[in-house]
Formats: sequence, C-alpha cells, structure tokens
Amino acid sequence: MDNKNDHSKTYFNPYFGGVMLGLILLATFYITGRGLGASGAAKSTVVAAVDRVAPKHAEESTYYSKFISDDLHPMNTWLVFEAIGVLAGAFLSGAIAGRLKIKTEHNPKITRRRRLVFALIGGILFGVGSQIARGCTSGAALSGAAVLSLGGFITMMAIFGSAYGFAYFFRKLWT
Amino acid sequence: MGPLIPLHIIPETWNHVIAVLLGMAFGFIMESSGFSSSRKIVGLFYGYDFTVLRVFFTATVVTAIGLYYFSYMGWIDMSFVYIHPTYLTAAIVGGLIMGLGFVSGGYCPGTSLIGAAIGRIDGIVFTTGLMIGIFLFSEAFPVLEGIYEGTGMFDGDFLGYITITEYFNISPHLFIFGFTVVAVAAFYFTNLIRKRVKPVNY
Amino acid sequence: MSKRYFILGAVLIIVAFGLVLLPDSVNKDQVPPEKLLKEIMSQSRYISPDLVASRMIDEDPSIFLVDVRSAEEYSTYSLPGALNIPLENLLDNEWKPYLEQTGVDVVLISNDNLYAEQAWVLCTRSGYKNIYVLKGGLNQWFADIMQPQMPAPTEPAEAFDLYTFRKGASKYFGGGSDDQMVTSNKSESLPVIQRTKKSAAAGGC
Repeated sequence: MDNKNDHSKTYFNPYFGGVMLGLILLATFYITGRGLGASGAAKSTVVAAVDRVAPKHAEESTYYSKFISDDLHPMNTWLVFEAIGVLAGAFLSGAIAGRLKIKTEHNPKITRRRRLVFALIGGILFGVGSQIARGCTSGAALSGAAVLSLGGFITMMAIFGSAYGFAYFFRKLWT
Repeated sequence: MGPLIPLHIIPETWNHVIAVLLGMAFGFIMESSGFSSSRKIVGLFYGYDFTVLRVFFTATVVTAIGLYYFSYMGWIDMSFVYIHPTYLTAAIVGGLIMGLGFVSGGYCPGTSLIGAAIGRIDGIVFTTGLMIGIFLFSEAFPVLEGIYEGTGMFDGDFLGYITITEYFNISPHLFIFGFTVVAVAAFYFTNLIRKRVKPVNY
Repeated sequence: MSKRYFILGAVLIIVAFGLVLLPDSVNKDQVPPEKLLKEIMSQSRYISPDLVASRMIDEDPSIFLVDVRSAEEYSTYSLPGALNIPLENLLDNEWKPYLEQTGVDVVLISNDNLYAEQAWVLCTRSGYKNIYVLKGGLNQWFADIMQPQMPAPTEPAEAFDLYTFRKGASKYFGGGSDDQMVTSNKSESLPVIQRTKKSAAAGGC
C-alpha cells in the first residue's frame, strides 16, 4: 500500500478486516438470527434514562411507551450488552496497537471547538435519522444489506448518496 | 441447524454472554480496521481513503454469500433470520439525514462508540449527540409517527419484511453474484480514484 | 493494483458464482416420495395410549403432546399439557420450533387417527424427526385409559396387569366416571415440557 500515513502499518488490511467482520456478522446471524447494531443500544439508554428521570412523561409518550413495555425485551438489553462488548473490544484493539490516547481528531485547518460542534450536530442528525429508518449504518445498512433486505439497501444507498451529496459543503471541515 | 438462539439450541441464558463476545469481536475488528478515526472514515467521501468502503462491502458480501451457502446446506433457516423491514419513505428520509450527519460528524453510531473507547473526544461528543438526537426524535414522535409507521400520508409505505430479491422477483443467488462483481469493481475503481486525489495526512 | 488483490477478487467472485451454480434447493429439506412411502407403510409411527399414559404418569420430559384438532375441539377436551396446533396451521413458522427438534418425541393427537396421520405426513415430509401418532386418537384413549374394560377371566395374566395399569391411569387422569367427556383440559401439574417460543425480535439497530 502506498498510503503514507503512519497508522496504516498498524491497521488491518481493509479486505482482511472486511472478511473478518463479515464472518463475525455471519456468526451473529447464525447464533442469534439477526445482525449487529449500534444505535439500538443508545436508544435503550435514552429510553431508560427518560423513564428514570420522568417516568410519567415516558409512559405518556407514544414512542417511549413502545419500548418501555419492551424494556425487558431481550433484544433491547441484548444490544446494550453488545455495545459494552464493542467498547471493550475496541479498547483492547486500541491498547494492543498503541492508539489509546485522549484527543480530538480534527483537521489542523479547523479549531478543535469547531470539530466538536459538528460532531455533536452529526450525532444529533444520526440519532434522528437512525430512529426514522429503524437502524443506522450497522443495523440497517450493514446487517440489512447482508440479508438482502430491501429497506437495508435503500437506507444504505440513501446514507452514502446523501453523504456524497453533502460532502462538498463540508469539505473545509475535512480536507 | 441455526439460528441457534431462536430455535433454542443454545439456551437463552447464554444470550448476554454471546452478546458481549460478539460485540467484542465486532469492536476489535472495527477498531483494527481503522474505524476509530473519523478522518479516515470520511476519506471515503473525499476520495483520499476508501477503507470504509472496502471493509463495509467486503463484510456485506462475505456475510451474504455465507448466509446463502449456510441456508443451502440447511445449517440456517432463513425464515428465522430477522429481515430488516422496509418502510419506503422512512428508509430514504432517515438515510438522507444520516448521510448529512455522517459528513458533519465523521462517525456513525458504531464507529463513534469505537472512537470513544480509545479516547477520541469527538467520538464521545458524537455519541452524546446521538442520544440527544434519539431524545429529540422521541419527543417529536407524534409529528413523525406517520413516516415512521407508514401511516397517514405515508400509507402504503410499509412493504413488509421483504428482501430486495423478493421485491424484484429475482434469484437471490444471482443478485449476490452481481453484488459481488459490483463490489470488486468498486474496489478497483476507487483505488484508481484514490491515487489521483491529493493525499491527506491525518 | 497488485496481482495479490487480483487473485483475491477473483476468488471472491468465483465463490459468489458458486451460489448461482447451486441446484435449486426448494425441495431439498423435504423427504423424497419413495422414502415417505416406506415410512408410511411402517407402523413405527404409532404410539399406543398405554405407552403415552405411562410416560405422562412417569413425568417423562421427552414427550410432547400436540393436539391437531380445531381450537374449539381442543377447548372442550384434550389431554393434559397438550399444545393445540390446528392442522391448517401446522406449517406456520410459529410452530416450527416445537416440531422441528431432536430429543423430544412429538405425539400428534386427533379424535381418531385421521387428522393426526395427515399431520404426521406433513411433518415427516418437512423433515421433522421423532413424530408419532397417538394410535386410535382420543377415542382409543377413552376406550383404553378412561374406561378400561375388565378382561375376560380366560385371558392371560398380562391382560389383567394391563387392566390394573389402565385403572390406575384412569384415576390419574380423572377418568372412571361416565361424564369425563366434559372434563376440562386444565391439568394439575403435568410433566409435558412447555417450550416457550421466541419470535424474531423487532426494532433496534
């Protein structure tokens, strides 16, 4: 690879990583009958938090109440456990490769503050979008497309299409 | 015969242990592939780093091929595999919003967790934003219910738990083959693009 | 583009192409007609009411009763612990985890043999294992277990042993009187395993 950045040696070859990720996803389908997810855990956390802080409100809201009754639903807690595993696994990998470091990764042409503001906005947009589409890049696009779900493919194309479409307006942020 | 847990071959008590183990493998591989770095991820959209595309498409293709071989061998019963449901407008609108969030935040929910795990503050901020976004959506749910449930003016949006091959009535095996060819072609051509784009150091 | 990646890409495409070459797998899980005929001719699918009764009394966890009659008939009377899967719903995915299993003997029950036999053929053709038919159905069950006939004095001792067992079983299942046709199917504590079935969970990402 002629990529000249200093991380590339410590990262997996992307195709190797892809095959490994595919096998893990296959194992997940084989064992649990469904794919991996990420935003589901965040949703469970939000629902649980709202339920703790304002139980009355949570019960009255149509969307929360959908999941409060479901709160003991195995799938919701399953995703939380999975997210804990993801954190642990990523930490392990970072520790082995020597990438553990508290820092904000940003383009030197922009300020740290600007990067964080846009990260927050991006997170909020992803939060809203993932709820509308019932899943994010992992749950809807990756796991959905792997089982050839129509919705999964549509969401995948919408995510990447829109990201390419908007990329021009955000170019100062990244390049 | 799988899937193991829905068919009670593995008792449900193991469910959470398995969740943590699969999550760990997932997190480890994603981090090792470079998904903890927002600038590496976003390279996909500016043509200087196609790691995400390579990992993502390879994983999708491997899983799809594997699943259909498993199904053919009778090792997995596809009728017990959860097919992500299709709500047409919701899938498109949600995807568009997520794409905007992607170039703005540089992460997606899974990768932001991975970034946060190795101490990237932008990852932590993104995850916080993610929860705020979910909170906002939940508060605005009465307004968005139509699009989410495919009711009201979005009536008829819900196409069921359908696969793309069922919808277009083509053989899934043929589709996967075509998808694989497209993916390999994409790997080749994106590599050509990357060589022409001014490299970005990050 | 190095040669290495060219080879890897080719391997991936070939593996994917292998899927296209696979023969049609639609009927793969089903039993071929010749084999099915052989199994139909064999009598090994029948299980007698006596054996079912004795296994139920022994609280054998490896026996699982499935009533294939309509929900209406089921609610009037069925064997304790039996699960109702009406024949027309037999192939619904909902019931698959109950029927498709190893290690548990599934006993199909109807009023006589007819519906249970039909269900047995469907199950066997679907490739399910350990599927049995309650011989003579509930009618035979009543005749044998609930209202056993005293054997003639000239019959051998085994007949009397069987009669004694049936008498006991009849007590156990609350039979013996003439009005047991209306006894409820609410069992006290019957040993049949009740597998809880989990549907594919929805939602989440």
